Amino acid sequence: MRLPRLRSALLTFAAAGLAASVAFAAPLKVAYSDWPGWTAFAIAEQKGWFKDAGVDVDLLWFEYGPSMEAFTAGKVDAVMVTNGDGLVTGAGGAKNISILITDYSNGNDMIVAKPGIESMKDLKGKKVGIEVGFVEHLLLLKALESAGLSESDVEIVPTPTGQTPQVLASGQVDAIGAWQPNSGGALKAVPGSKAIFTSANVPGLIYDTVSVSPQSLAEHRAEWLKFVAVWDKIVAYLADPATRADGIKIMAAKAGVDAATYAEFLPGTKFLPLADGAKILASAAAGFGSVAGSSKIADDFNVKNGVYKVSQPVADYIDASLMAEAAAPKKAPAPKAEAKK
Amino acid sequence: MSLASQNPSSLDLAYRVQSEAVAARFTKLHTRPVILQAEHLSCEFDSERGRVTALRDINVSIHRRELMCVIGPSGCGKSTFARVIAGLQPVSAGRILVDGQPVNGPGPDRGMVFQGYTLFPWLTLTQNVRFGLDMQGRSDGPADREARQWLDLVGLGKFHDSYPHQLSGGMKQRVAIARALAAGPKILLMDEPFGALDPSTRAQMQAHLLEIWRNVDITIVFITHDMDEAILLADRILVLKANPGEVQEFIEVPVPRPRRLDQFATPEFQAMRKHLDSLIHPAPSAGAPDHAPLPFIRLTQAGDDVE
Amino acid sequence: MPLFAVRREPPARYRWLLWVLAFALPLAMWSAISYVPWLWHPQVKITDAGSVAWIKPGLRLDRADFQAQVTKASSAGLVPPSGEPANPLYLPPPHAVGRALYGAFTTPPTLKGDLWLHESIVMSIKTIFLGFALSSFVALPLGLLCGSYPALSRMTEPFVDFVRYMPAPAFGALMVAIFGIHLEPKIGIVFLGTFFTQVLVTAGTVRRVDPALLEAAQTLGAKRGLLVRRVILPACLPDLYNDTRILIGCAWTYLVVAEVVGVSSGITFFINQQAKYRNFDNVYAAIMIIGLIGLATDQLLSFIGARLFGWKLTRRSRTRTFFAWLVAPAKANPSSIRV
Repeated sequence: MRLPRLRSALLTFAAAGLAASVAFAAPLKVAYSDWPGWTAFAIAEQKGWFKDAGVDVDLLWFEYGPSMEAFTAGKVDAVMVTNGDGLVTGAGGAKNISILITDYSNGNDMIVAKPGIESMKDLKGKKVGIEVGFVEHLLLLKALESAGLSESDVEIVPTPTGQTPQVLASGQVDAIGAWQPNSGGALKAVPGSKAIFTSANVPGLIYDTVSVSPQSLAEHRAEWLKFVAVWDKIVAYLADPATRADGIKIMAAKAGVDAATYAEFLPGTKFLPLADGAKILASAAAGFGSVAGSSKIADDFNVKNGVYKVSQPVADYIDASLMAEAAAPKKAPAPKAEAKK
Repeated sequence: MSLASQNPSSLDLAYRVQSEAVAARFTKLHTRPVILQAEHLSCEFDSERGRVTALRDINVSIHRRELMCVIGPSGCGKSTFARVIAGLQPVSAGRILVDGQPVNGPGPDRGMVFQGYTLFPWLTLTQNVRFGLDMQGRSDGPADREARQWLDLVGLGKFHDSYPHQLSGGMKQRVAIARALAAGPKILLMDEPFGALDPSTRAQMQAHLLEIWRNVDITIVFITHDMDEAILLADRILVLKANPGEVQEFIEVPVPRPRRLDQFATPEFQAMRKHLDSLIHPAPSAGAPDHAPLPFIRLTQAGDDVE
Repeated sequence: MPLFAVRREPPARYRWLLWVLAFALPLAMWSAISYVPWLWHPQVKITDAGSVAWIKPGLRLDRADFQAQVTKASSAGLVPPSGEPANPLYLPPPHAVGRALYGAFTTPPTLKGDLWLHESIVMSIKTIFLGFALSSFVALPLGLLCGSYPALSRMTEPFVDFVRYMPAPAFGALMVAIFGIHLEPKIGIVFLGTFFTQVLVTAGTVRRVDPALLEAAQTLGAKRGLLVRRVILPACLPDLYNDTRILIGCAWTYLVVAEVVGVSSGITFFINQQAKYRNFDNVYAAIMIIGLIGLATDQLLSFIGARLFGWKLTRRSRTRTFFAWLVAPAKANPSSIRV
């Protein structure tokens, strides 16, 4: 008879599906995009380090904007964002918790001025092309502050970051704010132009994070811990002169450029080993020395610029415990080692 | 009845003289049942030039197997008359009865052949002729056979698998007639069907049509602006006048049947022709722009005259 | 007969030549601009930096800026920079694009799990095809009904017209929320980009069916559904086919935004990525691939179309006869499939 057979087939199918979902947890879906601190995860993927660590990770390559959209839509478990944009995403309804900081921008974000403008002081009364309300805007404010100027001393021209090289080259503005590769593009597009202020002047203004949905973190904390632990291997691979070139080759291939070009972006990114990062993530100190402090500044900036209306509880966006655990391997690995035997 | 709306200015009444045979034929015709009847028919519609009264208070009865022509100056609503009977144009007042049943929209009991070519270009001739039969849900084999027969009847049996674009204008209209007849209508409406054909093809088509009419149980309403064509084909001619389209005269044609092209020279034909001319092209009123002489100055040299 | 005559087709033997010229002339112009130094070349590509600190070999400077640097260096008694005329980076020469085109197909992906270029192209074509097929599947019947029934048209077209002006890319986030992050949201974007236009274009084409054909069919007893199926549809099918050919181009436009929605993939993502890194030879190579795919698709469709709708031309064909049989499937008629 047809119907019972169909029904039993469906039941078997459903049962199998249920069993599968219990037996094999779905991979951790992580959205990442083109920033050296994040592209570096491609090394771990290519080398099979996640598998070695016993965690199933599905790394998904996005454009930065769409990666946040996918996270907001709940289609991925984690997304790689700056600490400031993590707050923006959270304020928009997609709560997220930074469990890992990969790096801080150490020069890749720049204010690039056309020839003749030698310092921030010269920018007074000039036009600056910048994406209003985002991280480069904050960089500009800090840059103006360092020169004793304020926002009202310059004229801000809203410019999408991707178009900053062309806009600067066209002469419509006197300076732009952008990150790599756009900032480098602007330097190339306008001969004689100069980076008059960079994120290296304010280390800690922009921290780059892996941010996880609270639900995934609660349900799969052990797996996320393994994920975080892999980071030190990546940093070490890029630090070791013997393997650095291979690491850059993989990252460049992921970004779709040749290795030499990509190598230029690395010095502007300060990779943080787990031990260093754990302290920065755990610290509650004010100022750029901690993620909490940096996020607080970003939060004030976001509220002031109307990016979102209600100030975000910065501490809720941080869980430093995984980094701390992963960074202290000498004390805690005993049970793991036994389990392996 | 034919004299009811006679034009009083027309003094030459020679066209009313009928030979015995012709008179007997008309007597017989009037005993046939009425198949098409227009009662107080009026038709108005909106155009770019405002509201147009195309037809006003038309009362006509047509008997079974009659061949009636409708003629009149341009803009007299003769095409509208055919479209109203076909059900393609709604009436404003009055009604049309076909076999006693009021007309309500188009239907297969009134076939129509248009002036433009309306064969379906994506269908073969057989498929075109079959179209009406398909609409009636006739099964394939018989429908195909019947379509072939109709094509044979109009002399195009050889071309049954051709497409319309492969045919000449006259052939297309023959297929259109076959297609209309295949659907089995009671009335065949023909709206200047030969208007676009060259004179020799047209004469051939007129002969064809008479041949078909003799052999098929069909009543024909034939719209034309060609007076010779109307006299050659018609039992009776309905003359309409323009603006608004009203019946001017409904005339019994005195030319005896069977009709042939050489009847043009007969006195009956000439009398009829003269009368129609006087109805449709009345003596021009002075100063009408169409008839004023052209204000030419001479542009040729003396001695180079052509007439 | 002269080759160039107003409204007169050229002799058949010249047609291939003209077709080749259609591509050869732009290529010749491009080559001229690229290789003839005095033609455009608004910049100078540095070959030797001289003693100006910030100038590097390979840098491109506007001619005026370069001259200024030369004068400045000379007057200061330093070694002036030297260089050769160059076009902006945005206009690579043909050979560079050709090399990029060749390299793109012959270079294996560096990373495990990454795709060969032709695999990316297949993915893009799949996105286009599925999005467009889905759109056609709904839009063609809907357009046919709208064009046939004015009441339905009045009920749907104002809204369709309203949505048509909304930019499809703006729905990217929504598409991701509904369909996830892989191929589905991209197909959704292509669908949104083409569907509404397709409905309106289809309805418009349907409305242009010769009303005389409809009237003729009505006097033969055709009503409503039969009128639509047996007259309107076959009468406008060749034009709908042409509309479809044109609208496929529309779908390609939306591919560019579709491929950065969700997980990045496909040929247009490659374009975006390479443009970001200013590798314009790669960018043009990829643009050309799309152009070639488009041209090939169009030629193929036009070839098939000529076969399907032979009745529009003077030639008969098997395909068309078969198609006529498909359109009139009410009764299988052996004589109508015989050729």
